[in-house]
Amino acid sequence: MEGFIIALFVCLVLALISKYLSIPAIPFYIIAGVILGKAGLGIVRSDEISQFFSSMGLLFLLFFMGLELKLDRIIANPSKVLTGGLIGLTVDMGIGFAAAYLLGFTLMESFIVGAAFYITSTAIIITSLIENRKLMSVEAETIIWVTVFEDLVLIIILAILSASDQNLLLFVVKIALALAVIYAISYYGKEFLVSILERDDEIPILFTFTAVLITASVALYLEIPETLMVIALGAAFATTDPNAFEQHARPFRDVFMVMFFVFFGVTIDFASGVNWSVVAIICTLAILSKLVSGMLIGLVIHGSALSGLEIWANMICRGEFSIALAVLYGSPIIATTIAAMVIVTSIVGSFTAKYSTWMRRGIVNRSRRKALMYRPHAGR
Amino acid sequence: MSAMALRSLNLPGVGTKYEIMTDKGDTIAIFFTKTGTIQMYTLEKGNQSPCAVVMTAVEARRLGNILTGAIIEADQESVEIAFSALSDLRVTIHTFFVPASVTGKTIEDLQIRTKTGATIIAVCRHDKNIVNPPPSFAFETGDAALVIGESDQIIKFEREIMVE
Repeated sequence: MEGFIIALFVCLVLALISKYLSIPAIPFYIIAGVILGKAGLGIVRSDEISQFFSSMGLLFLLFFMGLELKLDRIIANPSKVLTGGLIGLTVDMGIGFAAAYLLGFTLMESFIVGAAFYITSTAIIITSLIENRKLMSVEAETIIWVTVFEDLVLIIILAILSASDQNLLLFVVKIALALAVIYAISYYGKEFLVSILERDDEIPILFTFTAVLITASVALYLEIPETLMVIALGAAFATTDPNAFEQHARPFRDVFMVMFFVFFGVTIDFASGVNWSVVAIICTLAILSKLVSGMLIGLVIHGSALSGLEIWANMICRGEFSIALAVLYGSPIIATTIAAMVIVTSIVGSFTAKYSTWMRRGIVNRSRRKALMYRPHAGR
Repeated sequence: MSAMALRSLNLPGVGTKYEIMTDKGDTIAIFFTKTGTIQMYTLEKGNQSPCAVVMTAVEARRLGNILTGAIIEADQESVEIAFSALSDLRVTIHTFFVPASVTGKTIEDLQIRTKTGATIIAVCRHDKNIVNPPPSFAFETGDAALVIGESDQIIKFEREIMVE
């Protein structure tokens, strides 16, 4: 318990520092976990309490993602979501998977590494777009839709990974039944839900918390993935009053997510035999592969390599979803690899996002200068 | 009004975006972000990089009041709301501090609605708000009245009722 409180306190200090420097806090939480935990000083140990809080963090992260997942809007403009999304999926997932496989991971491990390699951090990207005042740029909208597409892919990945060791027919039937119940409740109980959310006492927040936990435990009982069910719950509740649900779920998500990151760091163990050159290669490729996909998206959607550069600069950060995959399906070696990748890309990515306008201006100025210096007949 | 290109868009995770293209080809984009702040971008025609300001909700409301051309003095505020869907219905809400000539009189005595067409919807007295005061409501010194009506009715109200 003492370790738990130490970890909380360290996180609070780190959160203050990261806000002051306006860089994302996620890498710092992980680093703090690594230093305090198994791989470092060994002060903080993962126990039942911390595991409970971490799993809450994951559940509320996914519930929140479900709330944001407005399928009707995606269906309304599929071209925007699909073009950029598919380029990102093939390029990044392809490079990530191939690299992991060639570096000696098994097929299954490579799939998980590839998925974590592909999925960017919606939280970091959206925050940095807002903080760096880039919302109006044409690329911002493309970036946002690509992250929405990634959320969809994540759901599919979670479904594939959890279906692999089950009787498929029974699994699908159970999931379909659970989905039907969740959607029926939010469809027929819409007025009741809205009336609960409108109250100004503790009921709305208590209801939100309970709904998420009940869904997760029913899913566990039915042996279907609670991750998928919580996302579905969010998506179903989003049809009632998503803003109210977001407001009530936010405090839980914010606190539990920090625990989730720290205790992910705590459980990392360097003794598991990590090959650091492999980790270094993956981290470098994680940055380069987004350059390739960003350039392609920029050229295809906006017809401009500069747009591609802007997309790359903003989309380097991996974060919460990569770690979620590592926690759910990763071996210790995979967890360490993904942790390093998240730390490196989120720190590098926050700087490129901040200074991309300078970069862009530098390139434009240089090419302009080149054009001015260009003397076609100077050689004569 | 309908010629003005206004586009609104809900961006997942970010918030709501409103974009206005002016007749001269400049663009104004406003984002109500989930963090509670409001970002306003202006982009001059033919320019590449927009200018951005970040506002709180209060600051944004104040800016909105200025843009509708309504703020006259700092302590007497006025807001004009235009409902473009209702054949451009415009309603003005104005605050007045009641003059000495009015104190002690009731809304009925003053015949506000029949004389001016404007309606008193609230009175602020000692930091307490009385919403929808009845006709028998009598004014006291220091009261601030919130009056709603079309701008002509508000002007009439100011000239006929709020006389010193």
